Amino acid sequence: MRVLIVEDEKKTASFVKKALQAEGFAADVCHDGDEALAVARATPFDVIVLDIMLPGRDGLGVLRQLRERKNPTPVLLLSARGEVNERVEGLNAGADDYLPKPFELSELVARVRALTRRQHDQKFTVLRVADLTLDTTTHRAERGGRTIELTTREYRLLEFLMRSAGRLCARMMILEKVWDYDFDPGTNLVDVYVRRLRDKIDADFEIKLLHTVRGSGYLLKEQP
Amino acid sequence: MTVRTRLTAWYAAVMFASLLAIGLLVYREFAPEPKKDTPQEIAEDASDFQEVLRILLWCGVPAALLAVGGGWWLTQKSLAPVERLTAAAEKINAGNLGERLARSGNGDEFDRLTAVFNAMLGRLDDSFSRIREFTLHASHELKTPLTVMQGEVETALREADLPTAERERLLSQLDEIQRLAKIVDGLSLLTKADAGQVKLDLQPEPLDELVRDNFADAQILAESQGIRVELAACEPIAIRGDRHRLRQLLLNLADNAVKYNHRQGHITMGLRRAGEAAEFRIENTGPGIVAEALPQVFDRFFRGDPAHATAIDGCGLGLSIAKWIVSAHHGDIRIESMPGKLTTVIVRLPVSSK
Repeated sequence: MRVLIVEDEKKTASFVKKALQAEGFAADVCHDGDEALAVARATPFDVIVLDIMLPGRDGLGVLRQLRERKNPTPVLLLSARGEVNERVEGLNAGADDYLPKPFELSELVARVRALTRRQHDQKFTVLRVADLTLDTTTHRAERGGRTIELTTREYRLLEFLMRSAGRLCARMMILEKVWDYDFDPGTNLVDVYVRRLRDKIDADFEIKLLHTVRGSGYLLKEQP
Repeated sequence: MTVRTRLTAWYAAVMFASLLAIGLLVYREFAPEPKKDTPQEIAEDASDFQEVLRILLWCGVPAALLAVGGGWWLTQKSLAPVERLTAAAEKINAGNLGERLARSGNGDEFDRLTAVFNAMLGRLDDSFSRIREFTLHASHELKTPLTVMQGEVETALREADLPTAERERLLSQLDEIQRLAKIVDGLSLLTKADAGQVKLDLQPEPLDELVRDNFADAQILAESQGIRVELAACEPIAIRGDRHRLRQLLLNLADNAVKYNHRQGHITMGLRRAGEAAEFRIENTGPGIVAEALPQVFDRFFRGDPAHATAIDGCGLGLSIAKWIVSAHHGDIRIESMPGKLTTVIVRLPVSSK
């Protein structure tokens, strides 16, 4: 997996690169928009992490150019302005995801990872993690042969966690996908829901599936 | 007494006095020489004088009345520009400093006053927008170093052989950075809203649905504190609004009702139609807000009781943001509180015409 990081702030570019490399990505860095366009044309990338504020051609301009040239590479926009309008503008210009600054590094990595998978999942109707299964057509959850009763919100939360099994789900990503919030409400809503879900799927079992990543979010996986 | 009444009274009095003075002067100049010889002639003189006084009074009083009327009209005419200026000035607040008063253009005293007033508005507008620009730039500029700080702390946390004490220190630093980031976020949102730069995406929204969703979330938030949440009423009402902002508003209020509550307390929310408005009420038990502090609750960074402020996390901008969302929907929000018992937040939003 190869990621292009377009960010003029050198320190930010450097730790983003380091974090992505630590997760097994190959990462290249560009510091301005025109350079980014040239590099993206020469090399195929799996994901482009694109800052909006750039010297020369800005991020949105780069994005529009890419899409005009029919380049389908998933793009994660970064922006220090972080306003709903801008998010909408970015998504309309063809971005696949948007992350306002300051961001959590682990969330950035999680979002990049989610973008690399976006193209080829969503197809399975029965999701499975260890002995936990979730049927997305009947909304039935089972673990170890026992049926688990879920509310609508809990179902959506579990579905999202199971579709991202093995990957970190940052709090803000959960809020976006499960609650459809595009702002951080500054409450511990997610944590409380996860706790309830944990009571239902993990409490009676030896092997715990739902793990907390302190300060970042949650993760559903088989091994601790 | 208004300037107008005063001027009219003075005007009438001066008219009356000058009439008397002229009358007496004329009498002295043109009256026949007093004879004062016989007592009969003296009496005649006196009666002449009384006759003149009588005539003066009979003409003087109506003349004075006329002067009152004329004065009233004259002062109204000359003071009208002042009235207009006052009415226009009353309408100006921090939100429309860009507006200017209309000038007559004839170069008289009032036109000059209007010009001076407009110039003052211009300077006010300048300094207001400079403050706004400053806050906007400041919050924007703060985000880059915050991003770097957060990223570097997180990078440090990724090192596997980090001693536990060091890890705890870094995690606590991370918490503070995130708090700071939230404050900066809230500030930049409010500053943009002040400058009219935040656009709402107005669509017909079923408010009752949003309230019901919010009720479910509030129950979850309240559960760990043993707080009971009740939905007293939820009438089907649609308004024109921005879905995300309305949800932000409702969740914000619900979150406050949980945070500023006590264990085993309760929360009641309700949505009702009240004339042309949708009224959302949410009341909670808890310490409440003393009457003197009520006018300030919507101020940025206001915390009710400084002693408790630090125990409750949050950025201190929640209610300011709530107020902005309500105002942007042309509604109003107010808080009533009986300290120690019940605090009620009442939001009224105009119902869409259709």
